[in-house]
Amino acid sequence: MGHPPAVTPRRAPLHRRLGPYAGFSPAVVLFGGFFLAPLVLIVLYSFWEVVNYNVVHHWTLDNYRYFFSVPTYVTTLWDTIWVAALTTVLTLLAAFPLAYWLARYVRPSVRRPLLVLVIVPFWTSYLLRVTSWTTILGEKGVLNRFLEAIGVIHQPLSFLLYDRPAVILVLIYLYFPFAALTLYASLERFDWMQMRAAMDLGAAPRVAITRVLLPQIRPGLTVAVIFVFIPVLGEYLTPQLVGGTRGVMIGNLIVNFFQGAEYTRGAAISLLIAALIIAMLVAFRKQLDVADTYGR
Amino acid sequence: MSINGPVTRRQALRASALGVTGLYVAACGSSSATQSTASKAGSAASSGNSPVTLNWETWNDHYLPAQIAAVKTSTGIAARPSLESDDSDGYLKVKQTGGQYDIVSTDALWAPKYFHDGLTEPFDVESIPVSSQLYSIAKEVPFWKAGGGYLVYPNGWSSVNIYYNPKHVSPAPTSWEVLTEPKYAGKVVAENQPTDLMAIAGLATGAKEPYGMTTAEISRAQDFLKSAKPAFLKLVSQNSDSVRALADGSAWMALENLGTDFRVKAAGGPTVKEATPKEGVVGWIDGEQMVKASQHKDRFHQFLNGMEQAPWVAKNFLVNGRPLFNEKAYKMLVNQGYKERADLLWYNQPDRALQMTLKGPSGNVQAYIDAFNQVFGA
Repeated sequence: MGHPPAVTPRRAPLHRRLGPYAGFSPAVVLFGGFFLAPLVLIVLYSFWEVVNYNVVHHWTLDNYRYFFSVPTYVTTLWDTIWVAALTTVLTLLAAFPLAYWLARYVRPSVRRPLLVLVIVPFWTSYLLRVTSWTTILGEKGVLNRFLEAIGVIHQPLSFLLYDRPAVILVLIYLYFPFAALTLYASLERFDWMQMRAAMDLGAAPRVAITRVLLPQIRPGLTVAVIFVFIPVLGEYLTPQLVGGTRGVMIGNLIVNFFQGAEYTRGAAISLLIAALIIAMLVAFRKQLDVADTYGR
Repeated sequence: MSINGPVTRRQALRASALGVTGLYVAACGSSSATQSTASKAGSAASSGNSPVTLNWETWNDHYLPAQIAAVKTSTGIAARPSLESDDSDGYLKVKQTGGQYDIVSTDALWAPKYFHDGLTEPFDVESIPVSSQLYSIAKEVPFWKAGGGYLVYPNGWSSVNIYYNPKHVSPAPTSWEVLTEPKYAGKVVAENQPTDLMAIAGLATGAKEPYGMTTAEISRAQDFLKSAKPAFLKLVSQNSDSVRALADGSAWMALENLGTDFRVKAAGGPTVKEATPKEGVVGWIDGEQMVKASQHKDRFHQFLNGMEQAPWVAKNFLVNGRPLFNEKAYKMLVNQGYKERADLLWYNQPDRALQMTLKGPSGNVQAYIDAFNQVFGA
């Protein structure tokens, strides 16, 4: 029996070749059109200048030089970073016990309603959630009234609101669900027999957690850090509403630039924050490597 | 192409690039189709009373939703307001979007800038019948006359004064220096408008032109703001936040528009009083401009004629509480029993509007923002 004649494979029509990639389209439109293109514009703006309310296409590094030459901006950026870092640490510390308890001790049938409770705040608007804190922390707020009622204070405490602690407290509240859900997802997959084995071999519970549990949920922890730290870095509304003049973050100063039509300086500072975030993501990339977790 | 084999990065990138190109071409096609439809709509609108929607860049106290609905019913002209945060914001939006807006609201000395930069067009204010209801002084503002016409259809005005709670603030403030007194630390609110706050600081330190300060004057104004910073509890984004802060007692003073005292009372707050600092006040007079690139300029007069009728203006005064330029509306308010309130807010003295340091574009906005940010940064 002879070989069949060689057939040159015909190229499939374009629409069939593109077919498998059709699923990319929404992402291409969303991220290409509404993220990448504006980002390119922001990059360009950051190297131009504004003269008499007009953006002039004159290439310059002055916007970046200016930022580093004024101590207020650098100080505000550092303050923003430490607010974000502190918020992240406190949020994770608050979320971890809940996620641990849910994943380890709560019956699966009860877990679902409890998880729904964690995300209940998302059912109301962000603005409403932040504003509601002014009625809790304000001079005539719930907390002051309660403390007065039980005789702990005789004058309302004014430092509870419109200062940095208020900003951090509200940010913890806002980002708690992100951290709790991410940690829960990680802990749920953890094999608890390993903890038991560690303790059977003489490890104290704290040692078992730090030497066995935490290394294995490292990707989940990293994602939780990213979910909290990055959005907090760019926060504008929370410090605006509950921070007062003592809780200012870098986002508030950027808004002032845009409000005054100083688009180019606003763009430069925005990009510096974006660069900081990218640097952080690169640093965390290894922590997200799942293969490491299983030693492969 | 097999869908089972692995997809190389080159293939994926090529496919993405093709997808983007296809979408771009499609978007251009539909955009030009839309544009052509819009042009047709524009020319159709030019004829008679056909329905049209005007894009209006404005502030939320320039209209009431019911007013827009009523004008649409009576004239066929709908309005789609979009809010500007400040004059510079409105200016840049019109500049960058060309004829996307039909009407843009602005303050005082911003109007000549719009005109000189080719963004707006003068018109014959007397040709709008409702203009007969205006105080005559509102049609004679010198810097609103240009190009053989008038640049703005006048709406309202206000100075930015000190409103204080006499229970906590004593003696009554007579100078902006009150902001530097330690006993009022953390008890003052103001709107977060860097240029205006710098201008107020300029007034406080004797600047000749608070919106056009020299470098030395900016430096003095910055020093004043630095010494006043401890007094500021917060810088708010809306004047309603100032009203709330005075009403709930968290602030004892606010730098706000005329009428704040009535709004605080209406919000269930304490009695607050107005003080006019001896160094003078900044203020604004505002109104509507016709955008030069608008495709519906022929409907501008008809729309404003519907919107600016005295009953609506009177209602607007009661809601937003600052003087307006419609004299007939003032008379209606008097007849309705609001004379005391209207007179307290100077509604019957429109000439005061031109005695303030009026809002306008800063000659050196970058220096203003820099100075402001350096004070209010961390």
